[in-house]
Amino acid sequence: MPPLLSRADRTERVLIGRPAEEMPRIAPNLCGPSRISHNMAAVKALDDLYGVEPPPAARLIRELEFNAVHIEEVSRFFLDIFGSTIAGPDAALPHIPGILGRVGKDIGLKAINVRKKNRRIMIHLFGKASHPEGGLPGGVSRGVVEQDRDWIREAAAESLEFAQFAIERFKDTVLADKTYFNAMMDDADRLRTCSMAMVDERNEAAVLDGLLRIVDPDGKEYAEFSPGDYARYIGEWQESGSAGSFTYVKPLGWKGMTEGQGTSIYCVGALARLNAADAMQTSLARKEADFMIATLGSRPVHRIPANHWARLIGGLQAAERNAIIAADPLLTSKDIRNMNLRLKGRGVGAVESPNGTLFHDYETDERGIITKAKIIGPDRNNAAALGLYIQKIADAFISGTDVKEGFPDRVVKILQLYDPGIFYHLAPGKAPLSVVIRNSRGEVVREINQQPAR
Amino acid sequence: MSSQFPWKNRPAPEKPKTAIYCLKGCGGCDEAIIDLNEAILEVVDKVDVVLWPMEVDSRYEALESLKEGEIALSIIHGAVCDPEDEKAARLLRAKSRLVLAFGACACFGGMTGLEELRSDQGHAARGERTYPLSKAIKVDYALPGCPPAASLVAEAIGAFMDNQLPPRGATLAPGKALCSACPRNRSKPARMEITRFRRIHEIEADDSCFLAQGVLCLGPVIRSGCGEACIRINLPCRGCFGPAEGVDNTGLNFVSGLASLIGAETDEEIKEVLEGIVDLPGYCYRYSSPRAGLEAIQGGKDHAEDRHQTDRQNDHPDRRAREDRTVPRRRR
Amino acid sequence: MPKENTPKLVCFSCKFGWGYLNRNGCEKKVKSLIPVTCSGKLDTITIIRAFQAGADGVIILGCPEGECHFQDGNYQARNRVLLLQRLLGEFGIEPGRLKIKMGLDPMGDTIPDIIDEMSAELIHLGPLSMQAGNPVKADPEGEAKLRRSEAIS
Repeated sequence: MPPLLSRADRTERVLIGRPAEEMPRIAPNLCGPSRISHNMAAVKALDDLYGVEPPPAARLIRELEFNAVHIEEVSRFFLDIFGSTIAGPDAALPHIPGILGRVGKDIGLKAINVRKKNRRIMIHLFGKASHPEGGLPGGVSRGVVEQDRDWIREAAAESLEFAQFAIERFKDTVLADKTYFNAMMDDADRLRTCSMAMVDERNEAAVLDGLLRIVDPDGKEYAEFSPGDYARYIGEWQESGSAGSFTYVKPLGWKGMTEGQGTSIYCVGALARLNAADAMQTSLARKEADFMIATLGSRPVHRIPANHWARLIGGLQAAERNAIIAADPLLTSKDIRNMNLRLKGRGVGAVESPNGTLFHDYETDERGIITKAKIIGPDRNNAAALGLYIQKIADAFISGTDVKEGFPDRVVKILQLYDPGIFYHLAPGKAPLSVVIRNSRGEVVREINQQPAR
Repeated sequence: MSSQFPWKNRPAPEKPKTAIYCLKGCGGCDEAIIDLNEAILEVVDKVDVVLWPMEVDSRYEALESLKEGEIALSIIHGAVCDPEDEKAARLLRAKSRLVLAFGACACFGGMTGLEELRSDQGHAARGERTYPLSKAIKVDYALPGCPPAASLVAEAIGAFMDNQLPPRGATLAPGKALCSACPRNRSKPARMEITRFRRIHEIEADDSCFLAQGVLCLGPVIRSGCGEACIRINLPCRGCFGPAEGVDNTGLNFVSGLASLIGAETDEEIKEVLEGIVDLPGYCYRYSSPRAGLEAIQGGKDHAEDRHQTDRQNDHPDRRAREDRTVPRRRR
Repeated sequence: MPKENTPKLVCFSCKFGWGYLNRNGCEKKVKSLIPVTCSGKLDTITIIRAFQAGADGVIILGCPEGECHFQDGNYQARNRVLLLQRLLGEFGIEPGRLKIKMGLDPMGDTIPDIIDEMSAELIHLGPLSMQAGNPVKADPEGEAKLRRSEAIS
């Protein structure tokens, strides 16, 4: 099984010694769920490394492919192919992808069709859908010809219809059900942290090109910076006893697992994209975002279960953008490469993968061979928020060495809010998690192993 | 053991059991199976999926209660990197009639093996070992690719369902090298003389053969079947389908071929030309381990010798006479 | 037969350029002295096989520029060696263990000196390690570790 957290450190070691221009073809194969996003983050890092901007057609092609990734996410909510286990309504937090997954064959086929059409875009432009190969510094390797426009346009139109359907379905099945809705509004799942996401020049939500923006828990802009400056704003804190480090808003200093005004913990992801931006880029997505914010209170939205809803809205924006791109006359221009490459020795790229912001940071020698690589993925970016969330829930479940029933399952639900791909098929009681309680001296006083049933 | 699928031509008494499991991989191979698209719904109707952790609530330990050989087919992807991987592989082997090594990691180690490589810049290998599935268990069929091409997956699944499989040990992809299938083949000059090597970002690729332009492409030694996915987006082959039939070791064979294509006479000239190649191990062994095929080389015949032997047998006058009725039999 | 602690050197030499079968007593100094019709006959596979068979080093004696009877067999050999040297590290073989010398010595008089020189270098490098991690030979320790189901990392 691919490991739970990104194997970013192992990946970083492997990249050393490899030519930088091969990164888009190597990075995706090493990093679990965010494969496709790693390809694009690598491409952006190469642009920076060679001090080059892609021509307009290349930019459109990259966005076309990357939006297809975000649209595929929407179809994933439905492709619970085997109709497998779903937490019942009495679960503390609804398992939203599973609910949508229980939709029947017709809609399943629709989802498969949308997935297929969008993966065709990825394959046509970037070689493969599972591990894209395409993308070069300053452009893309393959252009679009006029004969392609029709099927691309059709794919975009079907995606748009499907994304709208998905959101309506969400409203009908999840919002309309009191139990689920109340669970979403429960304060236990409200986490007031900063949010970080990419925005364009109008401070509207973007996924591929733009600056990174951090807003505080009240929605006020704290900082806006280009990906190359990330190290000034994102710090890493190593908590003793923790396997991985936590990222936090560096200038604020590490304040521990706290929330509310003044916290230096931030989160990334679909909800963060809605919070960090002033608005969505496209009209239908903007309407849906306004509706969501109004339903849940106000902006910024801190009700983490709404992440799934935000993901669908992000997919809608991606579909709207692709419909626009498919009609753009510049899409078929032959100018897809900027060959004016000037090696700088350091390059940083950032993209918004469906799960959140992803950074690739490369250092190279004078021949463009990687000497150092750093990857910060959405799971690392969310680690502190996740820790805070679990700590809050733990306070409700655990007192002393008493652990209320269902705690590991609750943790799984939390993980799934940040990454629906994790354990989504597992029934309650099945996730391979264990709870270890230590006293103040660090000694283990209680251990609960949630072993899966044989 | 010819009727592994008793339900062919007869009403199915029960659906054949299938397991799909990932050892150390990225999960892209699971997606490749879902790339069957609508056909996946037909397939899951006809089989009983007993294990597929990415899609179905299941763990491999649960299979211990099954009888030996009760699973008709296990599709295993990902490489063997630690004892847990080996344990899972052995359990699936014991319970399965057929095992399919699916994807580059299972077939030859895959990209996780990059960790073992030294780069041209002198970086030492990190030391973590990666093994293909065949190092841990006996494998019946192999389907290479990173990930395997959708068309080949569909063909393979179809072959299993219809019991139209080649002899065991076969690779379920064409045997010939990518060059034979490549649309740029026609643009290859009769005599190639590479005088300068270029990296992919240094050129604006046209329609012609990459090697002829001095861009490293593993086409001559890599198995075809991928539909030339990378070539079609104007990028050279990096070897995800593994060595073609007759290729013992990707790097050794590639380097042999490449050496002949270089146009350089003096020592100074050749050294200057070769300066243009960076990270040769990383190109040659991106998807397959340097160790692959070495056992076949050691002390054995190489493939060229084998073919020569077979050709001589086929060329025997008595055999030709038997096939050509107009040639009278020789009396002894 | 070479003495126990002399390095096991395999020497392929082109018959035309390097002393047609004139061994000069070299067979005592090397593991194997193999005359070949042309250095271009030597494939990368053959060279690796020599290491697998126990060679600590391999030296190829080929003809210089413009002298190859088969036109460019010597260039092919030289190019292969130069490229193969960059992959040898992956097999646990130091690049210095493989050499090619392009020259003309029809009587083969200089072969003993060349062998001595290479042997001295190989003594410096030591015998080719049979330890685990050398994929040219079997990796018994690595395989055993995998089979013993002990934690590796």
